[in-house]
Amino acid sequence: MRNLFLFLREHYFYFLFLLLESFSLILLFNYNEFQGSSLYSVSNAVSGSFNNMFTGISEYFSLRKTNRVLVEELAKLHSRIPEAFYTTDVNIFYKKDSIVKLEYKYISAQVISNSTNKRNNFLMINKGSLHGIVNHMGVIIGNKIVGQVVSVSPHFSWIMSMLNKDSRISGKFKKNNQLVNVEWNGGNYRKGQVKEIPKHVLIKKRDTIITSGNSDIFPEGLLIGTIADFSDVQDENFNNGEIFFSTDFNSLGYVEVVVDMMRKEKDDLKASFKQP
Amino acid sequence: MTSRTVFFNILRFFFLVFFQVLILSHINLGGYINPYFYIYFILLLPFDIPGWLLLVASFFLGLSIDIFTNTIGLNAAACVMMAFFRPFVISAISSGPESLIGDTPTLRNQGVKWFLYYSIILVLVHHASFFYLEIFRIKEFAATFVRMLLSSAFTMVLVLISEYLLYPRGK
Repeated sequence: MRNLFLFLREHYFYFLFLLLESFSLILLFNYNEFQGSSLYSVSNAVSGSFNNMFTGISEYFSLRKTNRVLVEELAKLHSRIPEAFYTTDVNIFYKKDSIVKLEYKYISAQVISNSTNKRNNFLMINKGSLHGIVNHMGVIIGNKIVGQVVSVSPHFSWIMSMLNKDSRISGKFKKNNQLVNVEWNGGNYRKGQVKEIPKHVLIKKRDTIITSGNSDIFPEGLLIGTIADFSDVQDENFNNGEIFFSTDFNSLGYVEVVVDMMRKEKDDLKASFKQP
Repeated sequence: MTSRTVFFNILRFFFLVFFQVLILSHINLGGYINPYFYIYFILLLPFDIPGWLLLVASFFLGLSIDIFTNTIGLNAAACVMMAFFRPFVISAISSGPESLIGDTPTLRNQGVKWFLYYSIILVLVHHASFFYLEIFRIKEFAATFVRMLLSSAFTMVLVLISEYLLYPRGK
């Protein structure tokens, strides 16, 4: 026993190193399971309020641009209100909502931290569970995709950007509805990869890829990007392509979180089916 | 270690953490290159620091950066790795304990060649652990390697600039 203590004392540097290193690695790899833990919420709260302060300062420098974006948005919305339409038939106002039911609701939020330079990029926004955000909701800007919510605290949400090794978005060709997958392999944040394009699909440059709506995260028809390049490999079953993202991930100011009002119904439907 | 050294190291700890999270984390050249200058703290710890304090201080340095950047454990693991290698690097490149002049490893005390060996090896250890832990994939080995080298170069430039600014020759 005495020898053991002497041995430990002699080599404590190695043991302490192993202890601290494995502790860090456990923290790192269990990161996602730590959402409920106190350490994670401390980190989220600290970085949240800190980023809030920092954004508060840097916001002044982009007021002009924000103004322009808001004016454009206002014009777009004005053109959509009922008063902007010339009504030919009064009957349309009698249609009750059993046919048209609100499926998606949008919560606007400000991006308070963002990155495009890492292999795995995340954003933080200033809305959280208090505002009705839960995990797996999609995040968009205008009609373009941004990412999905991976964790929420009362006032902030942590969003996995499209620019992440775990992001995989189900998309389709706008021209013929052929399904593909979109990923990001790192490097240039304007370009991603389109995987699993069936051989028989004729691809052209500048073909538009939109969301398929298959994933329950994004509604159908949001812009992902346009084909920038593609390869025709003879001995494989699928072609791969390069996509130019429509979203400029480096200049996200205000984004919208997509709330799928029928999410529960869809999930229940899937769960109710038992494999025979 | 005198209490003056301890005081300056604590001050340096906070300064470097805030410098890193307020300014350097927002820099990315060409979408690829991020400096991780905060590890300058580990480089500048005194020679006679006890082993346990070296490891623990480095762990908390990494963890404080992690808390601000929401990457719990990533910087901490890289920093502990770097701190672990520090004593071995020092003894490998010095001809003996008596050849170390002064109480902290600086460019002025130890000479350009010694300091370059010392800092380049340790910065590479840190950046290699950092970038490969962040990716944790063998597939993108080459691309990550380039990122690591470029970022290490950037960090080294910052380290050398501050060496020349803080400890000018012939002062």
